Amino acid sequence: MQSIRLAVNGQPHDVMVKPEESLLQLIRHKLGLKGTKEGCSTGYCGACTVLVDGAPVNSCLFFAVDADRREITTIEGLAADGDALHPLQRAFVDAGGLQCGFCTPGVIMSAAALLAENPSPTESDVRSSLSGNICRCTGYQSIVNAVLTAAEELRAQGRAGERTGSTARLRSRA
Amino acid sequence: MSVIGTKQPRVDATVKVRGAARYVADLDLEGALVGVILRSPHQFARVKRIDVGHASRRPGVAAIAYSGTVPHKPMDFGIKDQHLFPIDYVRYMGEPVAAIAADTEEHARAAAAAIEVEYEPLTPVTSIEQALSPDAPLVHPDWKNYTRSESRVLRGNICGYNRIRRGDVDAALRKAHAVVESRFSFSPGIPGYLEPRAAVAHRERDGTLTVFCGSQTPYSNHADFCAFFELPEERVRFINQFVGGGFGGKLLMATEWYAAALALQCDQPVRMVWSRHQDGLNVFPRHGGTAVFRSGVAKDGTLLAMRASFAFDTGAYIGWGGGTAQTATMLASAPYRIHNVDLEGTLVYTNKQVAGPVRAPGGPQAIFAKELHVDEIARAVGIDPLELRLRNAWEEGDVTATGQKLTSVSAKETLRRAAEAIGWGTDLKKNRGRGLSCGWWFSSCGRSEAKVEVRADGSVHLYTGNPEVGNGSAVGSLPIIVADRLGIDPSEVQLTLADTATRTYDEGVGGSGSTFSAGQAAHAAANSVREKLIAKAEDLLEASREDIELVHGRAVVRGAPDHGVSFAELASASGDLIRGDGKATEVAEPEFDTKLVETHGFASWMAPSFTTSAAEVEVDSETGRVNVLRIVTAQDVGFAINPNGIIGQMEGGAVQALGFALTEELQFGEHGIINTGFHDYLLPTAVDAPSIEAIIIETPSKEGPFGMKGVGEPPVTTPAGAIGNAIRDASGAVPHTTPMTPERVWQAIQDAKQSGR
Repeated sequence: MQSIRLAVNGQPHDVMVKPEESLLQLIRHKLGLKGTKEGCSTGYCGACTVLVDGAPVNSCLFFAVDADRREITTIEGLAADGDALHPLQRAFVDAGGLQCGFCTPGVIMSAAALLAENPSPTESDVRSSLSGNICRCTGYQSIVNAVLTAAEELRAQGRAGERTGSTARLRSRA
Repeated sequence: MSVIGTKQPRVDATVKVRGAARYVADLDLEGALVGVILRSPHQFARVKRIDVGHASRRPGVAAIAYSGTVPHKPMDFGIKDQHLFPIDYVRYMGEPVAAIAADTEEHARAAAAAIEVEYEPLTPVTSIEQALSPDAPLVHPDWKNYTRSESRVLRGNICGYNRIRRGDVDAALRKAHAVVESRFSFSPGIPGYLEPRAAVAHRERDGTLTVFCGSQTPYSNHADFCAFFELPEERVRFINQFVGGGFGGKLLMATEWYAAALALQCDQPVRMVWSRHQDGLNVFPRHGGTAVFRSGVAKDGTLLAMRASFAFDTGAYIGWGGGTAQTATMLASAPYRIHNVDLEGTLVYTNKQVAGPVRAPGGPQAIFAKELHVDEIARAVGIDPLELRLRNAWEEGDVTATGQKLTSVSAKETLRRAAEAIGWGTDLKKNRGRGLSCGWWFSSCGRSEAKVEVRADGSVHLYTGNPEVGNGSAVGSLPIIVADRLGIDPSEVQLTLADTATRTYDEGVGGSGSTFSAGQAAHAAANSVREKLIAKAEDLLEASREDIELVHGRAVVRGAPDHGVSFAELASASGDLIRGDGKATEVAEPEFDTKLVETHGFASWMAPSFTTSAAEVEVDSETGRVNVLRIVTAQDVGFAINPNGIIGQMEGGAVQALGFALTEELQFGEHGIINTGFHDYLLPTAVDAPSIEAIIIETPSKEGPFGMKGVGEPPVTTPAGAIGNAIRDASGAVPHTTPMTPERVWQAIQDAKQSGR
C-alpha cells in the first residue's frame, strides 16, 4: 500500500492504494463516485473516461499510484449536485445525446477535454475526439450535435477554452 | 396545445448527464460477498463428477451453488432442454458449472479453482453443416426424452422448423423469364450493450429475497425465478435499476440466477458483476446462419415465385432463440406481392453460446439476404431496383404469404421517400454507389399495468412495470401520455420504474412492444385519474364537468382561468390521494390461412410497419475498404408520440446495422468463442458512423395507442441490405457473407473480375 494525495473535482484526498489498483477502482470504490462507469476494463469502450490534469484518460488503465499529486475531474465535477447543468450536459439533454446513459459520463468527459483544447471544433474533430468512446444506443449523431451545440454555447458565454475542475485548491495544499 | 407528438426530452436525461443514474454495479450493500462463476473449459463434455468439498472449506467461502444444490428440473422455453447448472453434459465453452460466493474476489476465484470437475471431452458440433450431417454427434444425446410444446419441432440436432407454402412454385419458375439463385451466410454477433451484466441479491432476516437487477423483463424473470425455486412470489422482490443497454441480450436471467441462488444459502448480500470477458462468455448472440433464395421473375419485373431456405445456428440450448427462424420466413418474401412461395426455416443445435433474440431477431439477416437477392433479380431483367420494388410492393388490401389481409400499408411511400432523400438516379462520384433495402416488421402488445397518483402536495406519480433500458418508452413516451391527459408538463411526472413490489406487471422491453403496451396502460391509468380530478372539481367549483379543463396542474372552468382549484386541493379533498389503475388491452393477432403454414407460431403480424433504408457508399476496390457516407431510413411509425425518441431509435439502429454489415463477427476457434472483448469484436465508433437521416412516416394503425406502430426493431433490419446493394453499385460486386469485411469485399470484386461479370 502506498499513500497518495490527489484532488478529485477540486477536493483534496489522502488515500492508501494498492500497487495494482486502478484510478477507476479508487474513484468508484474508495471515493464512492459512481458516475464513472466500468464497461470493458481494457481501455476500449471509454465509459470510464475521466480527466487527469485536463487530459482524458481511460481510468481503468490508469494506475491509482500515478494519480499522486494530480488533479482528477469526473462527471460529478462538471456540475455539483443541485447546481445548474454544465452547458455540455445541458446540450446532451436537449439534443437527445443519450439513451441508456452508460457511456454518457465518459463521452461528456472526452468532449469536455476537446472543448478545453479546441473551442471551435468541426464535426470531424468531434468524431475523432470521441472515437475512444463507444455508444451502442444513439448512432453518435445526436452526441456530435450536442457537442457542437455546447461549443457554440460556451463561446457565446465567453467561456471558450475554459477548463473544467479547479487546479487552485490542490496546488495551495501541496 | 397537446404535448403528444411533440419533441420532448427524456425525463431521465438530467440524472444521466450528471452521472447520478444508478445501475446495478453502482449499488453498495454493506458486507456484500463477491460472486463468481466457474465455467466449462470444454465445448462439449460429459460431466462425470463434481466435488465442491475442498472448495467449500477454502478461506472466506460462504456459498457454492451447482447442480447438487439447486432443483433438478429443466427450464421451459418450448423445449425443456436446459438445467440451471448442467448435470450430465456441458455444451459450450463458458457454460456456467458452479457459482461461488466469498468475502473477496481472490477468495472466490481460489475456491472456484478448487472445485473438482471431472470431464470426458466429446467431439463438439461447431457448424450448421456438421449438425445436419447424418453421422453428426448429438448436442443433446437424450433429445427423445425431452418434453416440448406442440408447436416445436425436435429431431436430433434440429430444434426448430417452419414452412410457409402458397401456390405452385415449380410451375411458376418454369414460366419465368429469368430465374435467379443467391446464397448467403451470416456471422453471429453480440447485442453489444455497454454495461456488463450484474446482479445483487440479498436474503433478509425475515427470509424474503431481494434481487437488484438490470433486466429487460424483470417481472417475468421474477416469476420464472420463484417458480424454479418454489418460492411464493410475494417473498421475492426484483428491483430493476437503470439498464446500460439490452438489445435483446438482457431478456433472460444470467447474473440474477447465480447471485440469487447463492444468496439463498447465506446471510450476507451477494454481488455479482461480470467483466466484459465474463459477459462475452455468457452472451446470448444474434443467430449466425445461411440462406438460399431461388426466384422467378417475368420480363416486366413481376415477381412470380420465390423459394427460400434459412438455417440458423441457435447454439447449445433453445433459450429464447426459437422465434428467429419463424420471423425469417415471414420476412423472406415481404413486402412483395408474390403468389407462389415456399419458405422454410430450420434451427439447429451446436456446441456454442445460446443464441437469443437480439434486437429484431432474424431481421438483419433475412432482410439483408432478401434485398440483395431482389437487386440481383432486378439486374437479371435490367430494371431499376427502385422500379422493380415499386412494381411488386404491397398495397392496401394485399394479402401476405400466409394469407393475412393488410391494412395501413406504406411500403411504397417508404421506398419513394428514402430513394428521394438519397438522390436516387442522380449522378455519383467515382467509386461510389447507392443501394436500397426495404422490409416489414411487427408490433406487439403484451400484458402491462400502470398506476397514476395525484398526491396531497399536488405531485403526479406514474408507476410502470416497463423497465428503462435506454429504449426510452418509460422515460420518453409514457410521461408525455400522462402529461397530455392531466394538462401538465411531462417533466412534472414523477416516475417509478419496474419493481415487482409495486405490482405493476409488465412484459418488459422487447418485440417493439414497450410503448404499445405500457403506453396503453399509462393512458388508461391517466384517464382514470383525469375523470376523478374532474369529478372532484365539479363539486368544489360547482361547475359542470363539460366546463372543466385541466391546465398547469389545476382544474379550471373553461374561459374563467381564475376560477379553479389545484391538484393539491383536489387530492386533499379526496382523502389525500387520487389514484387510477390502467392496463393494456391485449390485441388479437390478425387472421391468416392456417393451411399455408407448418409449425409456425408467428404467422400473422399485428399493426405491421414498413421501413426502407438507402445508403451511399464509397468502395476502394484495391483494398476492399467500404466507407459508408450516408444512411437514410424512412420508417412508418404509425404515429410519433415523441419524435425525439423515435429519431434516437432510428439513428442508433442504423449504426448497429452498420456494425452487422461491415465489422461485427463473433468468432469461434478450436476451443470455442474467441473474441469476447471490444478490441477484437468491433462495434462502430463515432468515426465509423455516417451521417444518418431519419424520415418519420405516419400511417396510423387501428390497434396502437394514438395509431402508433412498434418502433424499436425496424431501424436495425434494413440498412445492411442497402449498404450491400450500394457496395455492388459502386464496385460491381458484393460479398454474400456478413460482415462485409474488406477481405470479403476485395474477394468478391476479384471473383467478379475472374468470371468476367
